[in-house]
Amino acid sequence: MRSLYLTPLRIIAVAVFTVIGAASAMAQDPRIQTSQLDALTARASQTVDVNIDERVMRMTAGFLSGKDEDERKVKELINGLKGIYVRSFEFEKEDQYSQADLESIRAQLRNPAWNKIVNISSKKDGSLEVYLMSSESKISGLAVLATDAKEITVVNIVGPVDLEKLSALEGHFGVPDLGIEVKSGNKPENKPRSRKNEE
Amino acid sequence: MKKIFTVSFLLVAIALAGFSSQVAQAKGDDFGDVVKAIERFYQVKHKGLPFLAKAGIKATTTVARLAGGPKRQLAEAGSVKVAYFEDQEFDSRGRMVNFKASISAVLTEGWSPLVQVISPSDEQQTYVYLRSAGDKFNVLVVNIEKRDGSVVQVTLAPQTLAKLMQDPDEMGNTITTDATTNDNE
Repeated sequence: MRSLYLTPLRIIAVAVFTVIGAASAMAQDPRIQTSQLDALTARASQTVDVNIDERVMRMTAGFLSGKDEDERKVKELINGLKGIYVRSFEFEKEDQYSQADLESIRAQLRNPAWNKIVNISSKKDGSLEVYLMSSESKISGLAVLATDAKEITVVNIVGPVDLEKLSALEGHFGVPDLGIEVKSGNKPENKPRSRKNEE
Repeated sequence: MKKIFTVSFLLVAIALAGFSSQVAQAKGDDFGDVVKAIERFYQVKHKGLPFLAKAGIKATTTVARLAGGPKRQLAEAGSVKVAYFEDQEFDSRGRMVNFKASISAVLTEGWSPLVQVISPSDEQQTYVYLRSAGDKFNVLVVNIEKRDGSVVQVTLAPQTLAKLMQDPDEMGNTITTDATTNDNE
C-alpha cells in the first residue's frame, strides 16, 4: 500500500528534478536565441545572419595553416570557440524599431548568469552593451548588443572569449566592426561602428 | 486474361518506378528540390548550365586574395551544380520569411544554415547552407535578385571552406561568381 503512494511521489520528484535541471541548463546556456527578431526583417533595408556552430568552428580551426602569419593568428583566436552567431539589421530611416523589439534579447541577458561588463551610450554613436557569462571562473560566452538609430547588431560568441579576443575577431567570421578598442587594463572604448564590407 | 495480367504488371511496375524515384529524390536531390521550391514560390522557370561543371570554374580575385596565389579553383572537380533563373520576375511581396521557410523545408537533415543576407527593398536574398560530405563539405548557395536568381551547389575541400569562412558575408557571392564564370572567359 505504501509503495502505491510512493510510486507517484517518485514520478513527481523525478519530473520536478528534470524540469529544474533543464531550466538550470537553459539558464547557463551562453547561446542567445534571436529568432524573435525575425519580425524586423520586413522593416530592415538589409539583414545579415551568420551561424557558425561548433562543428564548423572546429573544422575551420583545424584547416587554417599554422605557417601563414595571418592564418596562425586567426587560428589562435578561434581556438576553443564553440560558435559565432551574428545578426544585424540596417534600416533606411530612423524609428523603424523600438526598444520593445529588443526586449526578447535583453530579457535573456538579464539572467544572473550574464554580467554586463560594458555599457556605453551616446547620442552620436548609439549604445554598446557587452555581456560575459562565466561558470567556475571560466568564461563560457559573450554577447554584444550594439544599436544606433538605424542599426541593430547582436553578436553571440560561445566559448572562452574576452574583450581582447572580441576586438581581434572584428572583421572576421561575420563579426562586424563594433568599435571596441581594448587599451591596457582591459578598459574598452567605443569608436564609430561599421560593417567590414562597407569600407 | 494474358493481356489483363500484362497491363496489371505494367501498372505495378510504373507505380514502383515512380515510388522508387520519389524515394531517391527525397534522399538525395536537395539541389533539385530547392530549385523546384523557388519555381513554385516565384512562379519562375530555371535553366540548367551543366556545361559549367564540365568546363571547370574560374577563380575570382577574392579567392586569389584569400589563397594568396594567382589563380585557384574553389570547388572540387566535377562537383558544381548550377541552376540559373534569367530575366524573370522575383517579387516576394513582403514574404521573404516565407520563402526562407520554404527553402529550409525541402532541405533534408544534415544541412545547416550558415549565412543569410537579405535586402527586402532591393529584393536581394542570399542563403548559404552547409553539410558534411565525408571528408569534404557541400555548400548550397541560393541567390535571388529582382530579375535573376541562381542555385549553386559545390563540394569544397575543408581548407577552401576554412578560408571562405573568414568572410562569411561574401561567401555566397564568391561561390556563385566562381561557379558561374567560365574558365575561358
